[in-house]
Amino acid sequence: MRTSCRHLALAGVSAVVAFGLAAVSAPVARAADTTLSVVVADYGTGPADASLKYWQTIADDFHAANPTITVKIQSINWNDFDTKVQTMVQNRQYPDITEGDYFSNYAQEGLLYKVSDVMTDPSNLMPAFTKLGSYGGVQYGMPFTTSSRAFFYNKKLFAQAGIAAPPTTWDELMTDAGKITALGKIGYGMPLGPEEAQAETLLWFLGNDGGYQDADGKYTINSPQNVETMEFMTKLVKAGDTEPNPGTKNRAELLEQFAQGDVGMMNGITTLLPIIKTANKLTDADWGTTAITGKTGPISKTLGVCDFMAAFKGDGTKLDAIKKFIDFTYQDKYQIAFDQEYNLLPGTVSGAAAFSKIDPALAPFMTALPNAVQYPADTAWAQVKTQIQQIIGTAIGPDPKSVLDTIQQTALKGS
Amino acid sequence: MSVSIAEDGAVARTRRRPITIAARLAPLIWVGPALALIIVVVLWPVVIMVHTAFQHISPDGFILGSAGWKNFVYLWQEPDLVPILLRTVIWVATIVIGTMSISLVMAQLFNQKFPGRRAARWALIAPWAASVMMTAIVFRWGLNANNGVINIMLHDLGLLKSFNSDASDWLGTPTSAMVWMIIVAIFVSIPFSTYALLAGLQAIPTDVYEAARVDGAGAWRTYVSITLPLLRPAFIVALLINMMNVFNSFPIIWEMTRGGPGHQTSTTTTFMYQLKQSYIGESAAMSVVNFGLVILIVIVYLRATVWNKEAAS
Repeated sequence: MRTSCRHLALAGVSAVVAFGLAAVSAPVARAADTTLSVVVADYGTGPADASLKYWQTIADDFHAANPTITVKIQSINWNDFDTKVQTMVQNRQYPDITEGDYFSNYAQEGLLYKVSDVMTDPSNLMPAFTKLGSYGGVQYGMPFTTSSRAFFYNKKLFAQAGIAAPPTTWDELMTDAGKITALGKIGYGMPLGPEEAQAETLLWFLGNDGGYQDADGKYTINSPQNVETMEFMTKLVKAGDTEPNPGTKNRAELLEQFAQGDVGMMNGITTLLPIIKTANKLTDADWGTTAITGKTGPISKTLGVCDFMAAFKGDGTKLDAIKKFIDFTYQDKYQIAFDQEYNLLPGTVSGAAAFSKIDPALAPFMTALPNAVQYPADTAWAQVKTQIQQIIGTAIGPDPKSVLDTIQQTALKGS
Repeated sequence: MSVSIAEDGAVARTRRRPITIAARLAPLIWVGPALALIIVVVLWPVVIMVHTAFQHISPDGFILGSAGWKNFVYLWQEPDLVPILLRTVIWVATIVIGTMSISLVMAQLFNQKFPGRRAARWALIAPWAASVMMTAIVFRWGLNANNGVINIMLHDLGLLKSFNSDASDWLGTPTSAMVWMIIVAIFVSIPFSTYALLAGLQAIPTDVYEAARVDGAGAWRTYVSITLPLLRPAFIVALLINMMNVFNSFPIIWEMTRGGPGHQTSTTTTFMYQLKQSYIGESAAMSVVNFGLVILIVIVYLRATVWNKEAAS
């Protein structure tokens, strides 16, 4: 017994020695070095166009220009981005910079740097999204990439079904969807699953002069117009004119199916363009876009969506490095590279000017941006959004009002 | 073990040396690390969990003061809570019953001598060795309403009329989604219980069977009167470990339906996670309830091991 103990002790000592040696031989970081942790949403559809690649290029270029600052990129799948960042915040493991969804809650709690602190020229940020990125009149979120929604339709299926033009009213939409369903395809793709239900819902609400909030910023989720809208959506689903059980279907899946030629119509986003190209089933002549259908006619305003960069204060020692990195990232060439990769739109004024020269196909989306409807900017939105994503699908059914009532209560309860 | 204690006691009595405090604390050197580990890794998180359940916490993790019993009240007021609790009971019961009955048959089969037995036993490890999350994703893809391989098979067999229909959308409606998730859960639980039961079967001495054969007992009689009673210790252990595993099971539901639509395929475990996103205190309250339920299972487990000892003696 005693001998084996001694053996163990010896083993322990040698392990400690080995550890010590390893520590000594490892490269020692210089004291002046700063490491920035940058957490970004992944907009890619696979390893080939992973956002990590894009950001690593910037990080490497930046490190070459500023050898004392190392940037570590962490990319998170778009579906999980909000949850993961929020978990980091809940655990006090603040990233230095995030790029993706921004919530004014973080600004409210004093976790973020003001834009004017971390950016040399904030006036270059697209002014249409200033309010969305602000809390208490101060801007915290920096528009990084933007997009607007449009109604996509499959011209090939329309021709097969004998439909001459895209629908302009809900009734037409329902008739057309029925004809396409008769071909064995999905008439209208309605993604009400957790991924982006808040977008699809709002686009429908807008078609009936509804919305999440009224002009004064008061939540009106259970307004009579919205209830009526959900009733129409239910009618559409019950008629079998959509994919089955929209409450469990995510946008990404339906976009893929549209690209495969299996969906007649859906509210889409510019990121659908590269998906269509990759799938290689539809030629440019096979599909078209038009204004989003409303109850009595196409809606004049679309939904403008913006993803933001935000800088967390952390212990407050990295301000200079953060500012350098953000200024570096917002150069036009990186804005353009990002938007070309994902067919999204720039978040800066100079980026947009440069971009519209390169890619005229996206110009109509860009002109729609300044007067686009946006998501609520207040602090209740984070929870409202989570709840919409979770339960709005159940509003397709006999009692849409009670579901909308529940969400309205959450909105009024605030955070 | 008992012998050595008696010897120590005898030594202490004969020498009658006064025991110093240092000597009393001496065992701590050996017990201490394990004790510290249990306190830090097991007990402390429990304390934190219970404490959190009584605090008012903002969605971003800032503590805003005490909440008293409010979190539990909010939890109780959740309209989905009762259906979720009932669903959790059904989830655990059907999976455990399904797994144990299939495993009894499988273990019996693997205990027979047949060519390729070794390969078959190895193959059984696959569902266990594969990540549950991966298995769940594979099934989710297989059940895709538009082009899932399971649906394509059913369609080719003439059992499914059309794709993109309610009939092909297995994971879209709560009932059929639950059935499929239960199937997946049984699929991944079978290897463990089968191996546990197989070990139990191998531990039964062959002479008991020989005696039974001499007495003229038939195959069924032998199974009911000898195999099953002697298998009880292994069976009960496998049963209870399974119950806890299934109760805590998260990845299958999360990957296949995310508990949706709404919360209609959530169990208490996935519901707790969803609450955490916005309501940390309420989520902690749910954890406390879950913890209580697991403790309940553990108490049953401890009682069961006592039965085992009684059965063995």
